[in-house]
Amino acid sequence: MAVYRRGYQRYQGLATGRWRRFMVLPRFAWQRLFQQRLVVLLTVVAMVWPLLCAVFVYLTNNVDLLKGLDEEFRRFIQVNGTFFLVFMNVQAVFAIFLAALTGPGLIAPDLANNALPLYFSRPLTRCRYVLGRLVVLFGMLSVITWVPGLLLFGMQASMAGGGWWRANWTLGTGVAAGFAIWVMLVSTVALASSAYVRWRVVAGALVLGFFFILGGVSVMINEIFRVTWGHALNPAWAVYRLWCALLGVNPPAGPGIGACLLSLATVVMVLALVLERRLRPVEVIS
Amino acid sequence: MTSPVVELENLKVRLGRREILRGISCRLGVSGVGKAVGLLGPNGAGKSTLILALLGFHRPVEGSARVLGFDCHHQMRDVRFRIGYMPETDSFIGNMTAVTFLRLMAELSGLPGEAALEKAHEVLFHVGLGEARYRELGTYSLGMKQMAKLAQAIVHGPELVILDEPTNGLDPAARQRMLNLVREMKEKHGMSVLLCSHLLRDVEQVCDEVVIMKDGMIVHVCNLEEERRSNKCFVELEVTGNDENLRGALPEIGADGVNEGGGRWRIVLPPQVEIQAIWDLLARQNLLVRKLSHRRDTLEEIFLKAMGHMGGRDSGAGARASAPST
Repeated sequence: MAVYRRGYQRYQGLATGRWRRFMVLPRFAWQRLFQQRLVVLLTVVAMVWPLLCAVFVYLTNNVDLLKGLDEEFRRFIQVNGTFFLVFMNVQAVFAIFLAALTGPGLIAPDLANNALPLYFSRPLTRCRYVLGRLVVLFGMLSVITWVPGLLLFGMQASMAGGGWWRANWTLGTGVAAGFAIWVMLVSTVALASSAYVRWRVVAGALVLGFFFILGGVSVMINEIFRVTWGHALNPAWAVYRLWCALLGVNPPAGPGIGACLLSLATVVMVLALVLERRLRPVEVIS
Repeated sequence: MTSPVVELENLKVRLGRREILRGISCRLGVSGVGKAVGLLGPNGAGKSTLILALLGFHRPVEGSARVLGFDCHHQMRDVRFRIGYMPETDSFIGNMTAVTFLRLMAELSGLPGEAALEKAHEVLFHVGLGEARYRELGTYSLGMKQMAKLAQAIVHGPELVILDEPTNGLDPAARQRMLNLVREMKEKHGMSVLLCSHLLRDVEQVCDEVVIMKDGMIVHVCNLEEERRSNKCFVELEVTGNDENLRGALPEIGADGVNEGGGRWRIVLPPQVEIQAIWDLLARQNLLVRKLSHRRDTLEEIFLKAMGHMGGRDSGAGARASAPST
């Protein structure tokens, strides 16, 4: 019978499970995000660099094609920690832009339209709401970060053979762990911006500003005071320092791993606090 | 076994330093029978705070609140599975069509995707938004948004629907449609309804029980139907025809009356007798009714008494109440 003839009847069936309910928010968000041309375009553009890197991996493993090249240059172009570090740096920038484009649309509209009471009057806690939004960004950014990173690693391992894999398996874990840290940081920044500012454009600008302004401030401090600890104020640098450690590349001059971890933990805590303060079903004015 | 829909035990809620709810205790409604409870009170009485406490948005500093037998604080998830909430203020997701919005809300409430989509369509037709269901909610008029809010509150078929000022900003026709839908929810679909409003007429039209709040306390709880009956006393009647036998016939229905001459009568009805009995009696006496009016205590009078604006009865701040019908 047609719906409009049937009339309203209460739902009497079984309820879905916890995880299926948890994935409702990400599913709807992905559906809406991939309807935006700019998001699709940026995701596609972000795949160009991994493709170029894949070509590079192919070439380095096919010596015949490189015969005409200088011996010293052939030694230089190797798939090692530096290669993956360069790859990750480029993808990290794309991740920032993609997060700035997609992140603000996740929470800001809910706050602007006062939709939080509707979510939280259902079996959905604040924590699950934030995790659901985080999963949206984590999924989006994974497509352009650790997924192509691990594909490149797998490609190199399969072409170079078991010996290379045994000697360099830490690169694979480094890529995965390094990108996971970066994606979590960028996602949290995007969510906190989206929760802090109700206008999407401003929230997007805030995401970009967070990384680029903090980077600028840290360089200024280092130059003015002739120190290197200013880098600790730049979360992007702190993550870069972690990547160097994970990939076994010589680290740049600056604070050590401990200081970087402390800096990142502080940033994440502040962002979590912003989310905790802003995401409430009702605003209490004391 | 029936249990109260809402059960409050010395509930105290504090927002900042202010104590908004000051130790409320009461039992309201009976689950599963489709009754509506009205929450009345002036602005700042604590109605919305009570609703938000029932939803688990405000944590009680003392006491407890139970909805359908589940503790609102410790069993929040169980409570939220069983309720639908229509907030007072505009709440929606702007750039989403009504169908998608309702489907999202239904799936979040635990409906499988297919059932959620079906219910979304069903409920949109039910509230009169069938033709506009593919329009974005941001383009809806105020009345349509109110209906969409009601739709999202009932899309998952909750046992209890909490409506916070549902007729706000509606024109008379839309208001009547909203009240009809609320009445249908309880009578046809067996949902319990908790309706918060400061419009006495809305509450009077829809509710079976009324809770009147003032300064964070419940000052009066009454069963509207019983209240109406107990106060239905004076009937003013004007008839044409031979009314000589009417005085002798009045005791048949347990009433008593005085003939004021010229076909005018003043009749006193006992509490249990409905006005229909007078009509039936007059029909049996072949009398033509020119005028029939009866006066009873309206909700407005009950409310004013509870607020302390009128003398008498069990009103006054600080009084604790317990519902008679649990």
